[in-house]
Amino acid sequence: MEIIAKISRGTKMDQIYIPKQRAGFQNGRYVIIKPIEDEIKKPKQEKPIFYNIKSIEPIKIKLISEIFSIIEHETEEQFVDNLLIVGSFLEKGFYFNDIDILIIINKTEIKIDSIKKRIQEETGITPHIIQIKIEDLIKGVSSDPLYENMLSKYIAKKRLILKYKRKINYKILDLHLLKSKSLIDNFEILSGKEKYYLIKNMLAIDLFIKKEKISNEILNKQIKEIFKIEAERIKENLIANKQEFIKKCRNFYNNISKQIQKGIKKENESK
Amino acid sequence: MSQNRNTLINKFVGNLSNSIVHKILERAIQDEILSNRYTKEIRNSFEIAKIYREKINPINSTLPLKDIQEIKDKISKKVKMELRSRISLGYKNIDLSLVETEINDVLEELKVI
Repeated sequence: MEIIAKISRGTKMDQIYIPKQRAGFQNGRYVIIKPIEDEIKKPKQEKPIFYNIKSIEPIKIKLISEIFSIIEHETEEQFVDNLLIVGSFLEKGFYFNDIDILIIINKTEIKIDSIKKRIQEETGITPHIIQIKIEDLIKGVSSDPLYENMLSKYIAKKRLILKYKRKINYKILDLHLLKSKSLIDNFEILSGKEKYYLIKNMLAIDLFIKKEKISNEILNKQIKEIFKIEAERIKENLIANKQEFIKKCRNFYNNISKQIQKGIKKENESK
Repeated sequence: MSQNRNTLINKFVGNLSNSIVHKILERAIQDEILSNRYTKEIRNSFEIAKIYREKINPINSTLPLKDIQEIKDKISKKVKMELRSRISLGYKNIDLSLVETEINDVLEELKVI
């Protein structure tokens, strides 16, 4: 609650009159008095930039502002170009485990231990921070399906302009796909979230090769279409017909692997 | 999870092989990949291999010589097969002579040898 009032001259002391009918400012409470000019001079807080966010809970926006201000406080302005919040924190609801923060740095790497500690202490959320130069981010988003997925939705401190063209490097995709092999070999041992991540990895690679758009919504839709199961069920490790599911994963993996092998061969022939 | 020793050894071998292949391929295309890729902290093949190792007796000491030889042979065969298929596709900078050293290093780290 704020009230703008004028100081008026009294006989023994000057005073500020405030209306008797008011919300807040109960009698007996202490308040701060300061000139209105100080408030006006205060730099306007920049509004964050929302990219592909249809709706988000207000408390999350408050937390993001808090996180941005912690990072700004803990870093030197000239080393940080932009801050981005990505990942599951931006999904509807409160099912996130951590918050993914991308710090776009310009030259030197910054120390992130104190930032992590403060965010954890002050918000109670575990941060997952990655610091990256803009040229590496562009390289990543143009060649790595998971980077493209990550940037399909974000909240940024400042406007982010990324000009890039998708570059398919089959050797990089081969390396990324190898990760998902673990899904087939270790089904029993992996958690639901790990399975979900490894499936998303395969699907994102597939869409990347097909030159199709990648986002979490699209990947979840694909999971339902191809594996006949809701993404949420995988995350919760509630897969009913395991053998059938593993078979589908194996077929899908082998299929992409073949496409990648063909691609590598073509890449080398054209050199 | 009650699995017999052979299944555990096979899973252990599979994960370590995958981890070594990944490491060698990563080295082969080092210039093309990003050093700080955006990944969620999920367990990789090496970390999963560790879990299987903890289920194979003896846990706190090296494995019997017969097992060691069998594990080394299986990993070597799997890794070389994967890498040879990549070489035939046109991968460069893959040094097969490093495979045995890599195997010894990871087996030592996991108290197999």
